[in-house]
Amino acid sequence: MLHRLESLESCNYNGMGVAVLERQAASLKWQQQNYVVQHNNLVELCASSMPQLQGLTGSNLGSGQMVELKRPEVFLGSDDFQEFVNFPVAGAEFGDSEKLDMVPPEAAADYCISRTSSCQMTALNTSVMKEEREDMILEKMESTTGSGRKSFNKRKPEAVADHKGKNKRIKGEGEPEVKTKCSTEISRNSSKENSKASEVQKLDYIHVRARRGQATDSHSLAERARREKISKKMKCLQDLVPSCNKITGKAGMLDEIINYVQSLQRQVEFLSMKIAALNSSVQFNVENLTMKEFPAYVANFPAAAKLPAMASLPYFQLNPLQKESVNCMLNESMLPPQTATEGIASASVSISEQSLSSSSMTQLQPFSTWNMDPQDIVPGIISNFKREYNFKCHYSPSYKTYSNDSDSYHS
Amino acid sequence: MNTSKPPTMDLQNLNPSSLKSRFATRFLRALTKINAQKPISPSSPTEIFQRYRRIKVAADKSMAYSVRSRRTWSRATLWRLRTRSPRSRLATLARRSSVKTRTTTVVDKTSHGKENKEERGAGLGVEEEELRELVPGGEAMDLCNLLDETAHYIKCLTTQVQVMRTIANLYSLD
Repeated sequence: MLHRLESLESCNYNGMGVAVLERQAASLKWQQQNYVVQHNNLVELCASSMPQLQGLTGSNLGSGQMVELKRPEVFLGSDDFQEFVNFPVAGAEFGDSEKLDMVPPEAAADYCISRTSSCQMTALNTSVMKEEREDMILEKMESTTGSGRKSFNKRKPEAVADHKGKNKRIKGEGEPEVKTKCSTEISRNSSKENSKASEVQKLDYIHVRARRGQATDSHSLAERARREKISKKMKCLQDLVPSCNKITGKAGMLDEIINYVQSLQRQVEFLSMKIAALNSSVQFNVENLTMKEFPAYVANFPAAAKLPAMASLPYFQLNPLQKESVNCMLNESMLPPQTATEGIASASVSISEQSLSSSSMTQLQPFSTWNMDPQDIVPGIISNFKREYNFKCHYSPSYKTYSNDSDSYHS
Repeated sequence: MNTSKPPTMDLQNLNPSSLKSRFATRFLRALTKINAQKPISPSSPTEIFQRYRRIKVAADKSMAYSVRSRRTWSRATLWRLRTRSPRSRLATLARRSSVKTRTTTVVDKTSHGKENKEERGAGLGVEEEELRELVPGGEAMDLCNLLDETAHYIKCLTTQVQVMRTIANLYSLD
């Protein structure tokens, strides 16, 4: 077997050597089936090679480059498990001072590279060293700052968690029951030994997979998966909705989300009302405005919200009909400010009253300069006013009387 | 507090295929149409109100068209806008009520299946229902998809508000 290993050593660890390695791995497998080798020996063997490798190629390993080894289950002679472990590009620890060609970082980050550490398959039985080596592996893995790939980062703590879990099991039974998959995720059943493993790193797991022998409670698993999905989505929504930062709990967040959606819809209504009113006075030459000009056009008004010239718009004056309706609304009730404080609410209401009395648009200017919160109030006012409109338009006789009044007022 | 300017209006690098530009072009085109149809002068409340209705419909429609049919809410909005006449409102109500009964049975089942307290399950259900009413097309979805749709809907609404605010400001400055 040794000469096979030596031939392995002479391989350069680039992509070309993989096929060679796999072939030799297959042949080794046959040989190893004669050996009593447990999979965890691989772990500690490779781990034991680490310090030597570090001695050999200190500079190379210092960069922390690791190649992920994907060991096919067949290779180890035990069925249906795969192991995903991070290893350095190992293989030449047999006293050979051959320089390793380190895999370039891109390939190292590529988890599709499958290399077999077949060279590690000597039957070492240093069970004492097992834990230490595994801890070293864990440290190595933790210290590896993964590439930008999300999946890589995700799998790393899973491997960590898995190894720790495996550790416990080795102590207990010595039977390998690791179920790690390269391209899928581990389950997080906290009932068994994984309760400690999940302490290692907390990341978001998307998929949950049943552990072997524990799949009976499929309902609870499905429920747990569903709940995790929902909580993950709630977190995304929390980022979108600005007011959700302090609120925890589903119900409160849903309330905030509902309020936010309502306020956005009201803002759309308010803005369309505004455009309708402004539209009546301005001829907007859109034909001359292409999409390219639009940004420049808009950019010409840098502080687009600060508008001094709103006084020039006569048509947005609220005529008496509107004034009446808004007045009675203001008298009835203050609109419940969902996101604004009461101080702002009262201020805005007072300002709006001033604007009504003065019938000049300059008073409404501060509204546009404010952020979203006070604009919750104004759209609310306008939407109430719109509802009044609805009411009046539907009941035409009463509306006609109103229109007569307004006409007489105008004349 | 927040700045007055909308934070994500990166006007120099306007991606022509982004949601914002798609919506802006469509909406502006609709606005020109509305302008062309009606005479501009009158300021009577009815006129303004009708114009407001048209503009709002145009805004919703252009937003839904910009999203195409990729999202349930956009499909529902388009469907709703197409069948807006009163005679088919009955059809809308019928459809909505039938769908609602289906959804409530689903909600009941899951709340029984959970180990949550009953009030908590019911409490969540109340807000869920509200959210379903708010988001167009939300009646027939489970909570998971509903949250997805809500996120996308919020994003599109904010875009809509930004663009419309800019347009309104442009109008007022001219």
